[in-house]
Amino acid sequence: MIELKDLAYVRLGASDLEDAESFATRILGLQIGEQTAKSLYLRSDDRAHTLCYFEGDPGDQTVAFEVEDEGKLAAAATTLDALGHPVHIGNATECSLRKVKAFIGFKDPTGNQIELAVRPERSGKRYFASRDAGITGFSHVGLNSTDPARDELFWTKVCNARVSDRIGDIALMRVNAIHHTVALAPGSKPGIHHINHQVESNDDVLRSYYHLSGERVPIVFGPGRHPTSGARFLYFLGPGEMVFEYSVGVDEIEDEDTHRPRQFGFEPSSLCMWGAKSGRPR
Amino acid sequence: MNMAATLPRSPLIQLCYVRLAVRQPQPAAAFATDILGLQPVPDKHALLFRSDERYHTLCLETDKATSSIGIEIADEAALGRLAEALKQEGFAAREATAEECARRFVRGALFVTDATGNEIELVLRPAQSGRRYFPSRDAGVTGLQSVGLRSRALNDDLRLWTVILGAEVSDRAGDVSYLRFDQKHHRIALYPSDRAGIVYVSYGVESLDAIMQSNYFVQERQIKVLHGPGREPASGQIFLRFEGPEGHVFSYAYGLNDIRPDHHPRQFSAQPSSLCEWGSECQDIPELQLASGR
Repeated sequence: MIELKDLAYVRLGASDLEDAESFATRILGLQIGEQTAKSLYLRSDDRAHTLCYFEGDPGDQTVAFEVEDEGKLAAAATTLDALGHPVHIGNATECSLRKVKAFIGFKDPTGNQIELAVRPERSGKRYFASRDAGITGFSHVGLNSTDPARDELFWTKVCNARVSDRIGDIALMRVNAIHHTVALAPGSKPGIHHINHQVESNDDVLRSYYHLSGERVPIVFGPGRHPTSGARFLYFLGPGEMVFEYSVGVDEIEDEDTHRPRQFGFEPSSLCMWGAKSGRPR
Repeated sequence: MNMAATLPRSPLIQLCYVRLAVRQPQPAAAFATDILGLQPVPDKHALLFRSDERYHTLCLETDKATSSIGIEIADEAALGRLAEALKQEGFAAREATAEECARRFVRGALFVTDATGNEIELVLRPAQSGRRYFPSRDAGVTGLQSVGLRSRALNDDLRLWTVILGAEVSDRAGDVSYLRFDQKHHRIALYPSDRAGIVYVSYGVESLDAIMQSNYFVQERQIKVLHGPGREPASGQIFLRFEGPEGHVFSYAYGLNDIRPDHHPRQFSAQPSSLCEWGSECQDIPELQLASGR
């Protein structure tokens, strides 16, 4: 079994790096960790980077997870290869671009680009936000799924993810105590559905709601509260139509042995207990 | 020497009720139950509503053009002393008739008019209900919590509230003055204005969830949100202020701070962020817009 320890980073192609930088610093509030001619590395916590925009196609989106060591990485490559997922082994240049010791790349059954990385870099300097959004760190991703039941099996049987709750057939899955690290979202093609950053408090969610509204950033869902994880949230649009989320108060699964996934109906109140409706840009 | 121990306690016990002047009682009554979620109290004479353990906290007043608020006074002796003090200070006050008391479910009342022209009813022994509060909708209301009053004679109105009635100024935002007479940050807020009347009637709710659920609930019913969801820096309360019938403004609030023993009145600048730290802007409440320097 492939043992995912945590999320590591997201890599997004950007058609206009300046635009991406403006959004990431002025709106989202991340810190620029490093900037090269073709890449923008952004920090959200004590890691050297958790989001990288690179010059390229906005449809080119990758999510990376950390694994324990190079032995586990090699075992994962063998497992994936045996299951028929072509595996790319990262070379030195690619590793350096990702600030990791080693990595492999593959596609999940839907076709999402996934990387497994060993020893992603931390930064000695503490995180210093570019605006006071209250971000405490990169926390989870939503992944498009063309077949949620099949993809749930991949993440839970091939990898070590556990289902925390389900909304209809959509699984919210964890790899550690945090309620979910990967959320599947029904979609017709591969891609990242949303990128979540945790913020300090409920106040931060609402402050950002007014700040972003004032900056004319399209709010696509919220402010709201997920009955599943208990998190208060705000979803909004970034470059390339990527959806970003701020949230606070994600529950932790206290007892790994006894937790049973709850089943929520596939209806609006399962996504927001306050009554916010998704998909209404305003 | 501890000054607090030597000062006489405020004779004010609690904010009891609001009597809201309305021209059309039925739409207002429907709003009180269907939107605010209050519990109607069967009564032959008036439209009464509960919001907590008290017999009533809202009365829709159709006979008069002016609204009033009720404040409980500790006892008869205190009310007597207040009557005397009000007379000396030149404030209009009149003892309520037996019928007026009966209509208010109190055992005695003194009707006072402040310098602005707001009617304040100082009452004795307001009725509690033996039965628990059962709301009309699940709005999470925990009780009538505070009232915003207009003031066009701020100094004289403050003199009435503090020197005579014994309330204390908790904080000021611009010239908005938050007044307390129990452990909560404020029960009355005075807003500079050019006329008399109530700015808003605020009900406490049990959680942030209740505030946000009502935010979407009222919007789905085409009820205009006038301010919020927001958070008031002085009092800490999270609020939602929305439009009721005939221009009356209602508010839900959660998280009103308790006042600390070492509290000292603070002056907040006359800016929107002094009224809402999240960044919501007030619409269509002139007193709040004035207070935020707009």
